[in-house]
Amino acid sequence: MIDIRDVVIEYGRGERAVLAVDGITLRIEPGESLALLGPSGCGKTTLLFSVAGLIRPKRGDIAIGGEPVTGPRGEIALILQNAGLLPWKTVWQNANLSLRLGGDYPQKTAASALEELGLGGVRSRFPAELSEGMKRRVGIARALSTAPSVMLMDEPLASLDTLTKERIQDLFLKLWLERRFALVLVTHDIEEAAFLGGRVAVLTERPARVKTIVENPGLGDLDYRETEEFLGIVARLREALEEGTQ
Amino acid sequence: MSRIRRAGRALWEGPVFWHVARYVAAMAILLLVWWIASEVVEAVKGRAFLPNPIRAIAEMARLGPTLFKNFWVSAWRLVLAMLIALGLGYPLGLLIGHERKLDQLISPMIYIIYPIPQVAFILILFLIFGLGNPVKVAIVATALFFQILVSARGAAKQIELEHITSVLAAGASRWQVYWHVVLPATLPSILTSLRVSVGLGMAFLYIAETTGSFDPWRGGLGSFIDSNIYSGPQAFAGIMAMALLGLSLYILIEIIERVVCRWKHVSRRGS
Repeated sequence: MIDIRDVVIEYGRGERAVLAVDGITLRIEPGESLALLGPSGCGKTTLLFSVAGLIRPKRGDIAIGGEPVTGPRGEIALILQNAGLLPWKTVWQNANLSLRLGGDYPQKTAASALEELGLGGVRSRFPAELSEGMKRRVGIARALSTAPSVMLMDEPLASLDTLTKERIQDLFLKLWLERRFALVLVTHDIEEAAFLGGRVAVLTERPARVKTIVENPGLGDLDYRETEEFLGIVARLREALEEGTQ
Repeated sequence: MSRIRRAGRALWEGPVFWHVARYVAAMAILLLVWWIASEVVEAVKGRAFLPNPIRAIAEMARLGPTLFKNFWVSAWRLVLAMLIALGLGYPLGLLIGHERKLDQLISPMIYIIYPIPQVAFILILFLIFGLGNPVKVAIVATALFFQILVSARGAAKQIELEHITSVLAAGASRWQVYWHVVLPATLPSILTSLRVSVGLGMAFLYIAETTGSFDPWRGGLGSFIDSNIYSGPQAFAGIMAMALLGLSLYILIEIIERVVCRWKHVSRRGS
């Protein structure tokens, strides 16, 4: 469903051009989850933004459902690092943003997403009045409001405490199991990649290339973190990340 | 109804009461310092060059209707000039700050003109607008235009990229990026700039109202002070009215900020 073919992305022009992504080819099927794991600043977010239609690759093609990606599309939702909430909008206005921006979606979806995530009581509050965990949930509600078939996440749980992070990882897994959107998660957190990625593509340092792909068939259970299999995947991912680095 | 009354009473007994109390105390201290200064000047120089505040206040009361008329003339000139500067400077500043190519094209021109003292343009403005109200408003608006333009440009450049990415990913058009991000993100800085503009605007208003003694449309507090410059208490009654005008505008901007930037004044309640 998501086809990334030999994508090269460069920042800047001429002598100051920086190669961020160098020839990545990946395919993500409908309902599949893929984690892009790599060191900070390796170019994984750049690749994700090009799938979201925000950055145009210098070379190669990205297509979703057979249609080339030329800009943001209603079926794609993007969750950003700090949830991307607008501080001057209330929880409701933030969750409902995609609908306000003219998307052709059923109006009730934002309200039901807020209710589902336990945010019905804080609809009129501003992000500054919320805890970090609540802010991330508002970001999720906004993403869910458009009932997307593709969910892109850019380090969505960075800078959260361990317990809050695990609770929201559980929520992501539950939502993915229920709705089966194609999920692409960008992270530098090995355990997060192992918990949420059905496959984990380990990327090199910049420019990002696929170093290896680790299959993670055990995924799908909230207790997965406590299993031997999970620890084994974590160890393999750590080894793959460390390979070739100093 | 009783809920509204309760809320009003809570506000009055809470932050509003203390806000007003602080201003009353500040006024009392300033009047005391003024009184001491006037006594010292009289003792040293042998003449009351700096009039006693009680006499100035008495003059204010005596000249009430005249002063009030001049107060309104100055007030509408200043407010109109601020609105014109805001209406032109704010959108242009946002465009320059947000659109890189426009910034490269226009910013050098602005930074060449900005450091020139705007007083230097007064003669040109008189030649263009002639005598009367338009030139007075134009003098103040020209001075404030650059102030607001530069602030808006700076504020637009400070916008967090994540906020723009967030709305672009949600499918926003260019116009929607301005409406949902650029405008609200820069409002607090612009309101701060407007506060600074009150002081700057008053100074230019004084210049505008005192320039051209043959101008039949003089009026305003600047002109009032200028006409009474050798009569201490009257001039100081005019100066106090100007301070009152400035204070009223500060309070008005504060109220506007509380309404349009409500999100800036909330504290974290969630857990």
